[in-house]
Amino acid sequence: MLTFTKHLQLSAIVVTGLALCAHGAQAPQRIDIKQLSKTVEDVVVPLPNEIFGALNKLGAVNWKEHVRTDKGASFTERPRIALLLGTVIADGFVAVQAEDAPAVKEIGQRVLTLAKGIGVGNSITPHSKAIIEAADKRNWESVRQELDRTQNSVQQAMNEVHDEKLSQLVSLGGWLRGTEVLTSVVTKHFSADGAELLHQPDLLSYFQTRLQAMPEFNLPIIHEIQEALVDVKPLIDVGNARISPASVKKISEITTRLGNGIVTRD
Amino acid sequence: MTPFVKTLFCQVILLVMLGSFQPAAFASVDDAQSFALQAAEPYVKQGFQVREDYWGGDLGSGEKKAVRQQLFKGNEYWFWLGTEVERAKISVHIYDSDGKLAEEPDGWEKGHFAAAHVIPKATGSYFIIVSVEESPEERTHWALVYGFR
Repeated sequence: MLTFTKHLQLSAIVVTGLALCAHGAQAPQRIDIKQLSKTVEDVVVPLPNEIFGALNKLGAVNWKEHVRTDKGASFTERPRIALLLGTVIADGFVAVQAEDAPAVKEIGQRVLTLAKGIGVGNSITPHSKAIIEAADKRNWESVRQELDRTQNSVQQAMNEVHDEKLSQLVSLGGWLRGTEVLTSVVTKHFSADGAELLHQPDLLSYFQTRLQAMPEFNLPIIHEIQEALVDVKPLIDVGNARISPASVKKISEITTRLGNGIVTRD
Repeated sequence: MTPFVKTLFCQVILLVMLGSFQPAAFASVDDAQSFALQAAEPYVKQGFQVREDYWGGDLGSGEKKAVRQQLFKGNEYWFWLGTEVERAKISVHIYDSDGKLAEEPDGWEKGHFAAAHVIPKATGSYFIIVSVEESPEERTHWALVYGFR
């Protein structure tokens, strides 16, 4: 018994020691953010389901009413296809939340068509197939992962051929659709915590900066988005104050208008 | 030695030299990313969805890099940092937009892996500070991935 107790004590010491070794030096409790300003990397734009996941935790959401599968118009302008591709991938995440297998499969096919239209179809074919197969098996985690991989592969393929601006438009399309759905849900069932999910001023600034650097994409929808972001900024950049129901409604109207603009011909 | 044998000999020597330098010459951020993903692996079983997107670069010993990231209250996040330089010591920490340490106490550093955990108290921008504390290399590749649930 004594030996066992000693052994247990020794094990405890070893485990504690290992844990202490694994944990590194104490991090400072506070840092000067202004000092970091020169070394800050760009944001990784969150996936729509990152926001939807947080929204889900606030209460049941009827995701089915937000599922959208209409094919919309076909475009030849690459910036328009890129924006649409981003929104369609976001629609895929909505369909996963709703566990709507036929919608997911249709979206998987649509993503492939759009990717081909923009010249990156080859890198998307396996993902599109995987999305459809996983939807058939109702394996929602796999569908989510494949949607993330799809967006990543599209953007990597674009970056490889120096189409970074189109890649940014894919992110923007997804963010706009995600915000449209978020504000629609929160407008219907307002909560301060739900509205707080809109507190994304740095992300909005990031998109504004990127759009300003795209003067060659002289399209009405791009100008419309630029103007709309100017209107949205003061509604979400509220510091420590709360985002009001009126602001949420206004952002919902703006993003719905932009969403319609992205899927329909001028 | 005939010219043919000479050329062949030189080519073989060159290939052997290239082979011996390969790890240092061709190591990349992609290698660092595979280590960061290795650190993330056990957390997938706990329901964390690991993003495909990642940040990466290279840093000298003692250098830091800040990454700005939008986090949402209600979600829980882990950030995993990795490097292919096995004898390097790296760290990752999370601060809120006021510069206040925002991470949970269960973050860890194990040689060329490090991780930090945050349950955001508010939705907004956070700063993820990555650092190469020590390294035998002049420049050390790093990659940062994150997951949420």
